[in-house]
Amino acid sequence: MSILELQHVEKIYGEKENQVHALRDVSLQVEEGEFAAIVGTSGSGKSTLLNLIGGLDNPTKGKVLVKSREIGSLSRKELTIFRRRNIGFVFQNYSLMPVLNVYDNVALPVTFDRGKHRNHKYIEELLRELGIWEKRKKYPNELSGGQQQRVAIARALVNKPHVLLCDEPTGNLDSATTIEVMGLLKASCRKYKQTILMVTHNEAIAQTCDRVIHIEDGRIVTGNRRFPAKGGDDVC
Amino acid sequence: MLKLAWKYMRYYKSQTLAIFLSILLTASLLSGMSSLIYSSQKSDLENSRNIYGDWHYYVEADQESYEMIQSGVQGDGFHLRQCGRMEIRDVVSEEFPIYFIRTDEAYRSMAHRDLLEGTFPKKENEIAADGYVLSNLGFSGNPGDSVQIGERYFVVTGILKSEWAASASEMEIFVSDAFAGRGSQTFLYLKFDEDMKLYKQLDAFLRAYKLNSQSVVGNEEVIRYLGGEEPDSIYDIVKFGLTNERGNFTYIVLKLQSDYNLAYYGMILFLCLFSVFVVYSVFNISVAKRTSEYGILQTLGISEKQIGGTLVLELWMLFIIGYPSGCFLGNGILSLVYQKFNGVFGGKGIGATGQELSVADQTFAEGPGAVPFCFSWDAMIFGFVFLLTALAAAAFVVVRSLRKQSLKEVMSGDTSFIRKRKIYARRPVNLAGVVVWKFMFANKRKVIGILLSLSIGGCIFLCTTYMVENLKIHAELSLKSDDGLGSEYRISLKSDSLSDTIPEEVADKIKNMPETEHVYPTRYTLGELTHIESTDYENYCETYFDEMNRSSEFKKYGGICILQEDGTYRIKYDVYGYDEELMEQLGDFILEGKIDPVEIKNGNQVIVVANMDGQGNYYFYGKKPGDTITLRVPKTDNYTDELLKFQSGDEFYMEKEFQIAAIVSRSLAREQDFLNTGAWSQVQMPSVIMTNRQMEENFSLTDYSFINASPNPDTEAENVSNQILQAIRDVPGAVLADYSTAIRTQKNYLRQQQIFFSSIAGILFVISLFHIVNSMNHTVFARRREYGVIRAMGITDLGFYKMILQTGILYGALTDVLIFLVYHLLLRRVMNYYMEHVLQFLHVQTGVPDRVLLGIMMLNVVIAATAVLFPARKLVRENIISEIRA
Repeated sequence: MSILELQHVEKIYGEKENQVHALRDVSLQVEEGEFAAIVGTSGSGKSTLLNLIGGLDNPTKGKVLVKSREIGSLSRKELTIFRRRNIGFVFQNYSLMPVLNVYDNVALPVTFDRGKHRNHKYIEELLRELGIWEKRKKYPNELSGGQQQRVAIARALVNKPHVLLCDEPTGNLDSATTIEVMGLLKASCRKYKQTILMVTHNEAIAQTCDRVIHIEDGRIVTGNRRFPAKGGDDVC
Repeated sequence: MLKLAWKYMRYYKSQTLAIFLSILLTASLLSGMSSLIYSSQKSDLENSRNIYGDWHYYVEADQESYEMIQSGVQGDGFHLRQCGRMEIRDVVSEEFPIYFIRTDEAYRSMAHRDLLEGTFPKKENEIAADGYVLSNLGFSGNPGDSVQIGERYFVVTGILKSEWAASASEMEIFVSDAFAGRGSQTFLYLKFDEDMKLYKQLDAFLRAYKLNSQSVVGNEEVIRYLGGEEPDSIYDIVKFGLTNERGNFTYIVLKLQSDYNLAYYGMILFLCLFSVFVVYSVFNISVAKRTSEYGILQTLGISEKQIGGTLVLELWMLFIIGYPSGCFLGNGILSLVYQKFNGVFGGKGIGATGQELSVADQTFAEGPGAVPFCFSWDAMIFGFVFLLTALAAAAFVVVRSLRKQSLKEVMSGDTSFIRKRKIYARRPVNLAGVVVWKFMFANKRKVIGILLSLSIGGCIFLCTTYMVENLKIHAELSLKSDDGLGSEYRISLKSDSLSDTIPEEVADKIKNMPETEHVYPTRYTLGELTHIESTDYENYCETYFDEMNRSSEFKKYGGICILQEDGTYRIKYDVYGYDEELMEQLGDFILEGKIDPVEIKNGNQVIVVANMDGQGNYYFYGKKPGDTITLRVPKTDNYTDELLKFQSGDEFYMEKEFQIAAIVSRSLAREQDFLNTGAWSQVQMPSVIMTNRQMEENFSLTDYSFINASPNPDTEAENVSNQILQAIRDVPGAVLADYSTAIRTQKNYLRQQQIFFSSIAGILFVISLFHIVNSMNHTVFARRREYGVIRAMGITDLGFYKMILQTGILYGALTDVLIFLVYHLLLRRVMNYYMEHVLQFLHVQTGVPDRVLLGIMMLNVVIAATAVLFPARKLVRENIISEIRA
């Protein structure tokens, strides 16, 4: 069953002679529990694709369906709430709140849902799982890049979203930490039955995923390809 | 660099506009306000010229010099622009002193004694005089009619423009050269070139004509604006103020004011600093937005010096356009304000036309309008140079802070918020609120800077309002007290003898007139306060009073303050008997004690008027309410004027002890002769006040010395004065002064003054609002990326607005707290000091009305909250991704 679907999506930035076609007639389906990598060169449109799926941007043409709901038809408020409950984001630059400690950074999205029970047990479990429980009172600038990205992943997972969108999550990390973070993402995908869409320009990293979607000049150029995962774990 | 600066200006249009506007607004404020103060001082000078005469000094001259010295004469170190001659030919003092004077045209022009009607006298029995003199001589006819003065009859050939009330104590009759008097005393009225130092010209003039400098009298009210006396050096003033035991800070302020026009130059400096503060603050915010770009430029090899140069060029380019435009705008707007509120700048509140005045009134209300608006080139040039330099310094400071900032970031990052290791999410708190709070206090120095800059407008507004409120009270009290204009009509005696009085029946007659109300007849006697032991006074007695005792004004009273053999002093005092209703009104002037006319009457107590030193401090020889004073007054039986010297035998005086009920700062109705002449009357009003009944019981005084009255509102002014003149016709020496128009003009002046000051406070507040909006804008945009992340995490637009609103409200509330504390703990005290000791307001007691204080506080919160909503709206409309990547 596909959890994500893009139908003839186009995205144009700018006007008249300054127009830039970021995406051209992109159609795509992603199955539930799939860990897919979107690969392409710089400016190919991969981040744009991710942002459209996350509802952070609107397509110029076409439809984006998440959990069979067309997100373009949602009002701003509905979209925000939908995104908060169903989609998690992990950014390349971590995007943590510098003024909050690790625990509060992770708990932040939960507090936006007024009246929602704050499941501290789950947050603790997440932090332990990601190996940052001991760092829960530290501030982002007291952590290494890898630790910061773990916090960002924990924050993305805290609302138990169905889809996790990762924009170059390992772009700022060294190779050892990259392997660690990839392992965590995969484990999370398996454990919480999540669909992960990860943008990367690193082909090697992409090959560790269930599926690699190649994008060039705003178009998807290859179909589904499956590769065996490196390391001991099976893909979910 | 120029190209780079230009590119930056064009790229960051809104920030460039903000800097430009801040320069434009502050330049207009600086130039406009300075020109306004300059014009008002010019106007004050012109009014003083009009009231006190357009001359600088007069000197008694012998006949030879009198004939020889001409207008336009130039000598070594002086240029005499105008020289007026006045010769006193005779003095008649039967009812009141009347001076027969012969004058030349130059004198009449300098003294503003223009001819209103008729011609100047030519024959011996012809005279000309003003309406005030003629009406009090009982003349009500037209030129050509005759009037009796003493034994002689004169033909009135012309009616002249009157003197201003303050100097109308001497009755002048203008005669022709043919008039043969009993003597001749000649005076030269001098007006020097005002572009040169007056005191130097006077010295040179006296040397050239070998005139005695002792006989020179300065026109103080005019020459104080023109540097008529040699100023002390600033070093000497400050040194005296700090080291001499009689000097203090107030002395320094007052002396700098009198010698160096501190109010004007101080205001220019304050406005320059305010301008620098606003422009720097806006500029700093603008630069903060492109810090990273300067970092990039540095990595590309541009030096700090070049970045500084770019910033200076950017600022100067805006300044070169903004400053002249601001000056044009400020002077333009304020010249319109000046014309609209010209009463404010008339200084003494004169400016009424004579059309609707009664004959007596015309004396006191004539005068020209304010002078045209003048540009303060001094301030504009000083401001230009000051701001140009200050802006270069601002650029330097910004570059320096950029360097410090980057170093700091490299070293440790912004860690000021890493204090508490507390997990907020474990409690039921709103984490968005925590984020807001932490964003605000992430950099405490920065937040204090923002709060200070936000509060400055409010503080200025509150200070101005506080001053306006107290100015209102002061003006009302001054108007009420005898140094102002208490009642519309005053009937007094042109006499310096206690034997001349207004009979009780005349007072009753005026009281019972349907045309009058609030008629307060006052009994008066001259007395002596004995057994004064106060040590405070000794310093003055040895210096100031020695001089006063020897002066011709007080010789006839045996001096003003006399040291006795037993080491105590005897000081001359005015003793008044007030109507009980009038006495109650003294309640507004209480310094200590309480006023209950019945209690005072039954307990035979008195109210005393405190002495005030030159710095607004009140004292009464160390005595308090409940203490006693001993009063010595001449007996009415066998009274002669010789008794006023207080040197006759004790059998001619009675001495009584009174308990002090209250000490007040001013009297309400006051004798205008006896002790109240010359400089003494302007600095002190030594008065003991009791009820009229007490005056009768203690000193057997039944008649009155003067009467204050107000007109019945339903009666025509002309009718009231005619009725009163009729009633006093048979009282020797009695004259009527009509202040109706002067009071009206004064009240109008006061009202305009309040509107004007409030408007200026409003303008300052608006400029600070502009600054608040800019600062708030920056505060929000500085966290653009973090807000983007929060939005990506799923906060709704409404939640985001609420969160940003919290920031605004928090800033507004903290600014309110700061304003409240700074105003109450610091500014109010400074203002009190300034108003009590420098401006010498009567009873500084009124605070800013609660509704104004509350209004300012609420407005601050509303403005800060509204100001954050604009950038918030902009952020909401922006793409989250571009915010996160910012």
